[in-house]
Parts: sequence; C-alpha cells; structure tokens
Amino acid sequence: MTRQSLWRHLLAWVLGALAVVWAGFVVVGFQTGQHEADELTDGHLASVAALLLNLRGSDLLPPSQQVASQQLSRPELKSHDYQQSLSVVIWDVQGRVLGQLGEAPVPPFSTDEGFADLVLGAERTGWRTFARWDRAEPARRVMVMLKTEERDELASDIAGQVAQPGLWLLPTIALVLGLAIRRGLRPLRELSEDVHAVDVVQHHPLGLRHPQVEFRAIVEAINLLMQRSRAALARERQLADEIAHELRTPLASIALHASALQGPLDEVDRRQSLDRLAQDAMRSGHVLSQVLALARASQTEMTEAAQPVDVAALARRVVSDFAPQALSRGHSLAYAGPAECTLRGHPVLLELALRNLVENAVSHTPAGTSIDVQLEESGRWLQVRDDGRSQAVPGHGTGAPAPRLSLGLGLGHRVVEKVAAIHGGALQKIEPVDDGLTTYRISFGREAVALDRGSDGLPDVLHEVGAGPEMRSITTRTGTAAP
Amino acid sequence: MRVLVIEDDEGIAAGLRVHLRQHGCAVDGVGSIAEAWHALTAGPFDLVLLDLGLPDGDGAEILRRIRRAPEGRFPHPATPVLIMTARDEVASRIASLDMGADDYVVKPFDPDELAARMRALRRRAAGRAEAVLRRGELTVDPAARTVLRNGQPVELSAREFDVLLALMEAAPRVLSRSQIEERLYAWQSGLESNAIEVHVHRLRRKLGDSVIRTVRGVGYFAPDGEDG
Repeated sequence: MTRQSLWRHLLAWVLGALAVVWAGFVVVGFQTGQHEADELTDGHLASVAALLLNLRGSDLLPPSQQVASQQLSRPELKSHDYQQSLSVVIWDVQGRVLGQLGEAPVPPFSTDEGFADLVLGAERTGWRTFARWDRAEPARRVMVMLKTEERDELASDIAGQVAQPGLWLLPTIALVLGLAIRRGLRPLRELSEDVHAVDVVQHHPLGLRHPQVEFRAIVEAINLLMQRSRAALARERQLADEIAHELRTPLASIALHASALQGPLDEVDRRQSLDRLAQDAMRSGHVLSQVLALARASQTEMTEAAQPVDVAALARRVVSDFAPQALSRGHSLAYAGPAECTLRGHPVLLELALRNLVENAVSHTPAGTSIDVQLEESGRWLQVRDDGRSQAVPGHGTGAPAPRLSLGLGLGHRVVEKVAAIHGGALQKIEPVDDGLTTYRISFGREAVALDRGSDGLPDVLHEVGAGPEMRSITTRTGTAAP
Repeated sequence: MRVLVIEDDEGIAAGLRVHLRQHGCAVDGVGSIAEAWHALTAGPFDLVLLDLGLPDGDGAEILRRIRRAPEGRFPHPATPVLIMTARDEVASRIASLDMGADDYVVKPFDPDELAARMRALRRRAAGRAEAVLRRGELTVDPAARTVLRNGQPVELSAREFDVLLALMEAAPRVLSRSQIEERLYAWQSGLESNAIEVHVHRLRRKLGDSVIRTVRGVGYFAPDGEDG
C-alpha cells in the first residue's frame, strides 16, 4: 500500500478548489467581457448613427458616392487597438443607396429601425447593424455596421485581460499555499512523530507540546491507551512473577531434597526429605493446574460462547466432590442457596473458580471449620464463607493449617478473578468483622444474571457486605461440626 | 561455615538445612525480615542466603540493613549475601547486585552449584583466590571436604574437618572456643561443653601436634609450617 501524504492531499484539494474558482472567474469574465463588448459596440453604432443624422445630406456624402473599403482600411488611419472598422450605408425613402462607406456589402433595404444581426455577402459574413431614419426632408435611412468578428475579438480581449493574471498567479499561489499548509500542519507532524515514538514501558505522556484543541481528544485517547497498556503490562508482569514464584519454589525444594537424599542422612531427615519431595511434587502439579486453568480461562473466553448454567447444581456438585476431603480434615461443608439458579456463563470456568475457593477453604483452615458455599437467590453472587479464624485457637483441631493466601497474591485467586471478570463480575474478599467469618465472593455482571430464573430476590440485608444471615434453603451439609 | 537461611518456604528452608549441613555448614533458618534481623544482630554469620519474597516485606530490606550496619557490631556490613529468588529477569538480577548482593541464584537452582557459589563467596570474603587452603604440610579442599598431609589423604570426621577448616580459614588469627563453636553449630545443635577440645585432640592425633597450637587462655590457631 502506497503511503499518502496529508500535506499533498490537502494541497491538491486547495489547488483544485482554487483552479475551479479561477476557471469560473474566467468564464464569468469572458461572458461579462462579451456582454460589455456587445454593449460598447451597440452604443458605438448608435452614436455614429446619431452623429451622421445630425449632418445635413450634402455634408454627409454626395449622392451615390462610395468610399472604397481600401481607402477606409488604410493603416495610417488606425490609431488605437480598439479602433473598429465601421461601415455606413445611407438610403432615401425609395430605397436607393445615397451613399456607402466601408467594406460592408449593401444589405437589402427595409424600413426597420434599430439593432440587427445580418449575414451578408458571398462569404456570408456576420454584421452587427444599427439603422435609423432621419425624418427631416428629404428623409434618409442611415445604417451603421460592424463585423461581428471584430466585436467578438474585443470580447475575447477583455476576457483574456481578466484571466491573464491567473496564469502567473496560480503557480505562485500554489507555491505559497504549499509552504503555508506545510507550516500549518507542523503540529500534526509533531504529534505524529510523538505518537510514533510512544513507548509504553517508559511513560512519557503526550500533550505537553500539543496544546491544540483539535488534538485534545486524540492525545487523551492515546494517553489513556498507554495507561491501560502499562497497567496490563504491569499485571502481566506481576502474574508472571507470581507464576514463577509459585512454580519455582516447590521445584527448588524438590531439587534440594533430592540432592540431600543422595548424601548421608539420618533416618528422621531422610523421612522428612521424602515427605517433602512428595508434598512439593504435588504442589508443583497443583500450580501447573492453576496455570493451565488460567490459560484455559483466557482461551474459553475467546472461543466458547456463554451458555445457560445451573449454578445451584454446579455448586452442589462441587460441595459433594469436596465433602470427603472436608470430612477427613474435620470440617463441615455445606451448600446454602436456591435449588435452581440459571445464569449465562461458562460452566467449566465457573466450576474451576468455585473448586479453587472451596479447595482453598478446605486446605487452609484449621480443623473444625464450618465452610458454606452460598448462592444468592437471584444469582447475583456466589460465595465461599468459612469461620476458620474463629476456629484457630490454640489446642483446637488437628494440625496447623497452611497459611491462607491473601487476595491478589495467590495464583488460585488469579484464576477466580479471571473467571469472575469473564462473567462481567469480580472477586471480592470480605474481611471478617466480629463473627470471624472469611468470605470470598464472586459477583456476576448484568449480562450473566440476565436470564429469568423464576425466583424472587433475597431481602436486602443479605446483599450487604459482611452480613451473614442463614440462607433460605440448605440442601447439603456434610461434616462433623454442627451447622 | 555458619549460614543464615532467610526463606519463608518451609520446603526450601528444610532442604537447604539438610543439604548445607551435608556440606559442613552450620545452618540457621528464619522466615521473615523481623526474625532475620534479630538473628543477624545476635551473632556472626559467614554467609546469608536471602529470599526476596518474604511475608513481612521485600528481602532486599535485609540486604540494605546489613550493608548500612555499623562496624564493630553484628552483623558485619561485609557479610556475603547470596540472593535466592524466583524472579529471573535480568533487571531484577542487576537491581539485586547493585543493592549490594554478592551473588544471585534463580529458583530452582542446582544445590551443588549453590554450595560452590557459597564457597566462592567465602573465599572472596577471606581474600583468597585458590579453592584449596594450604598451610604447612596440610592441604584442605573445602569443596571435596578432603585433607591431605604431605600429599597423603587423612580420614577426618565431619566435625573434625569443620574445626580444621575454621582454623585454616582464620589463620594466622587465633580463634577462641566460642568463635569456633559459632562457626560450627546452629542454634538448635546440642553442644557439649568440651566438644571443641575433643575435636582438637583428635585432630592432633591424626595430623600431628604441630597442626593446631593452643594459646592458653585465648584459643587455638593453625600455624604456618615454619612456625611449628
């Protein structure tokens, strides 16, 4: 594709417009010149006729005397460029030619007065004529004549004089306009250079040298885009760091313990190293699953269309899947929410997200923790709530739980955040207030909850952050602790 | 060599403890900036292994504090610091080295490479270029943990080797018993009151009386061959 220059484009349009105006000016000038030449000629003819009629017959011409055209067109008689060769014919009342001057042939006699265009002679030459009667005795008819060709030459000359300045003015104007447009477009060129030199990593906002009002929108848009790109880059980098950390840490541990196992070790250290190896291998696998889930979430978003999902059934399925694990750790796991609730979304991703939250709650809370998967009646949010903090008292439960990942740091939460974002919502951590309940809530966007699910909304109190009344229907509960 | 491992991941910390102990190091482990600073101000460490991502902040803070520490107190501002991190970007390495780190390994690292780098740092801190220590008729190889006397290998226990290495590295300075203990034992290690004397006695028996000299009331030192 050839590159087009705005400057050339603009110059071409300006010069084109100028040429059209100038051509119009020439046409109008020509027409005006012709019209004025006609008027001048007619006036001239009438003046000469009047002058001749004021002369007495004997003063004018002797009867039947003709002046040869050669005599009238003598060069020494020509004293001005616009001097025209007029011819005169004089008749008496009977139509006899009393006298003739000039080269014009004698037209047929008539009694008409005024202006007329006649074609005369064998060569059929056009003539402009003016005839007038002298009523004084003896009556005479005087006709003054001028070649149409001469009149047209005058018109062309006038039009030419009008148009002529354009012939040298147009190139001059084109040159000056070209320079002016080039200079006028300099801010645009500078903006273009600045945009071309934009570096998302090294943030230099546009605008400092682009104060023009016309550029404000584009400068703001570019700065906003840069800001978003930078934020996206930072998020990507942070995510890459997190993945690197989550994945490299267990691998480093595996390498260390594998190496230690090759050397001399007492039985306790050997057993601990083997346990740790198994544990870290599982941990690496888990991180890999999360990374794959994240990749899958991005891919699903692009390739698979959203479909109706019964989130209530999905939540019950996840709860029942984790029930044995929860039971083995001494937890109580339950689902609280409507029996059916259909949203528009991606079932695989939603399950992935919920599994993440439930697994986190099951694995990282002390024994005896009560964990609830709660779905709001109208499907505006799905949350996992546990009372792990209130359970974390010395001497309570079996074994210390692994530290809970804080929101935004854990790879698992990244996956949930991503899934929530795909469903137009967000992941929110609701910190425990006095009740010691920790809640991770996936709120759904309007597009996800747009489906009619034939259920009334819950009382407003349930929508408040931190409020924790029991849900209307509890369909599943498993575990050792009382619900 | 006494090493402080500042690492919040229990798997890595445990792995380092076991692995470095096999290389003759006395290893103490902490998992946060606060604990690390407490440990560093309490006693001497020959080397610090530092993880940057700690729960109470960036591990680089520890590095900054060590480098700004006043002379004559713990920690010594020139204490070698080796950073272990999952961040593998070049910019991150440059930033860490510019902050004053002596070396940098990216997780997961080869444990033997880590040990080699630690030995190199230790050598550099002691102002040596050679990997082996020679003194009199003894040649000590810290990497292979072998001792040659007049070219002949001598069997030493791990602790005996550590005592000899500490004295060879410090030579010709005299090390007190507590200084040797600090280099050899982590906090949790059980230590008998006459453990060092026992090791020195065995070393003299295996290597000859002239290898380690006693300065009564002060401690021990490894004399040059000509001193003996």
